[in-house]
Amino acid sequence: MYKRTILVTGLVLAFTGTAAAFDFDWQKALKVGGETLQKVQAANKTVDEAQEIELGQGIAANLLGTSPLLDNNRVQLYVNDVGRWLSLHTERPNLPWQFGVLESTDLNAFATPGGTIFVTKGLLMNLSNESELAGVLAHEMVHVLSKHHLAALQKSARMDLAGDLANEALKDRAGPILDKAVKAGTEVYARGLDKSDEFEADRKGIIIATRAGYDPYGLPAVLQMLDAANAQDSSLALMFKTHPAPRARLNLLDKIMADNFDNYRAPVQTDKRFLAALAQVK
Amino acid sequence: MKKCFLILMMLGLPLSASAVEQTAFTIRSTEIKKQPYSDAQTLATLPDKASVKIVLRKGGWVSISSAQGSGWVKMLNLRSNSTGEERGDNGLRSLFNMGRSGSSGITVATGVRGLSEEDLKTASPNPDELAKMKNFAVSQAQAEKFARVGKLNSQTLDYIPAQ
Ligand SMILES: [Zn+2]
Repeated sequence: MYKRTILVTGLVLAFTGTAAAFDFDWQKALKVGGETLQKVQAANKTVDEAQEIELGQGIAANLLGTSPLLDNNRVQLYVNDVGRWLSLHTERPNLPWQFGVLESTDLNAFATPGGTIFVTKGLLMNLSNESELAGVLAHEMVHVLSKHHLAALQKSARMDLAGDLANEALKDRAGPILDKAVKAGTEVYARGLDKSDEFEADRKGIIIATRAGYDPYGLPAVLQMLDAANAQDSSLALMFKTHPAPRARLNLLDKIMADNFDNYRAPVQTDKRFLAALAQVK
Repeated sequence: MKKCFLILMMLGLPLSASAVEQTAFTIRSTEIKKQPYSDAQTLATLPDKASVKIVLRKGGWVSISSAQGSGWVKMLNLRSNSTGEERGDNGLRSLFNMGRSGSSGITVATGVRGLSEEDLKTASPNPDELAKMKNFAVSQAQAEKFARVGKLNSQTLDYIPAQ
């Protein structure tokens, strides 16, 4: 939309010499185009942290509408412990970070704006240790840190929605505009983010996990598992549709990690408690 | 097999009931190490595209056997041979996936799927679950205690710039 506005403005300028031959008011068109442009630019800057959190909570409630939480307090607390510890090694440690395991048997993980992270039971059951869990959570956390979903929403939403966001309409909690933004925001999860956002989440995610004391190869190990999995399996359908191929992600991490991460090891205590925490999950 | 057993015991990993043979290939010339460390003794060197059998994975290292010998190689020097497609419908078998059970292959969880593309497009909120979720959030102090118990030590390192 942003590009189209510029294009339309450009076209109008190109015809200024023969404006009389066209039956639309180019001056008005320029003015409207300019205002819309300003609105969109403002939207990218003025969604403040409170609005970001509010929007994210709405989307989180929707995700929970498609799958409830796994009914296992111990596992929920354990994943929150790992995630919150990771969050202390990010540039936004004071967000209201919260983590949830969804009951779904699908293999997937999600992040919503403002610091709510989900991992499915299906994915959790296929992880081998705490470092792999940390790798998955850290990847999702980068989407929050870099506001990837907010950007995707603003890019895809209709102009009026982008404008509404800019108008701080989200401060009017639970209003119709927030509902609209939440609905559009939830749909982003069916489409997925830009590939470059996913690569950024991998690239930064391994660093956050390593900073927190985990094995840097937790995330690459999960990607190896996914790379070798049956791409036709329906429990992987949404994740494979919304992410670059695991092999492409492995190749990128291979390139950037090189030999620089060989000396980090996760404590054995973390492996043991991972198995203990997940012992009851079926 | 006895050696495998011993290694698993030493690592404190659960024993695998089903020892599915897993294979991979090298994507570059790769040293086989005696131990899973870069400064460990080099036993042999695998050429590019060499086929290996995976015995065990430990962090960024994989224990392999091959025509050129056995030992440890770097995980990211390997790629999966099969995409799993030939394994059929039930074939969520996966290379590298040692999983919690220690058996290879994706574990199929029991329960409800949810979270399809269609589900997401027609989602309606579940505020009760969101409220429940907040109860599990932990404080910074609790997270720091969790790290201490797990002997996790913070490391200082910068993000790697995009290339
Ligand atoms: Zn992602």
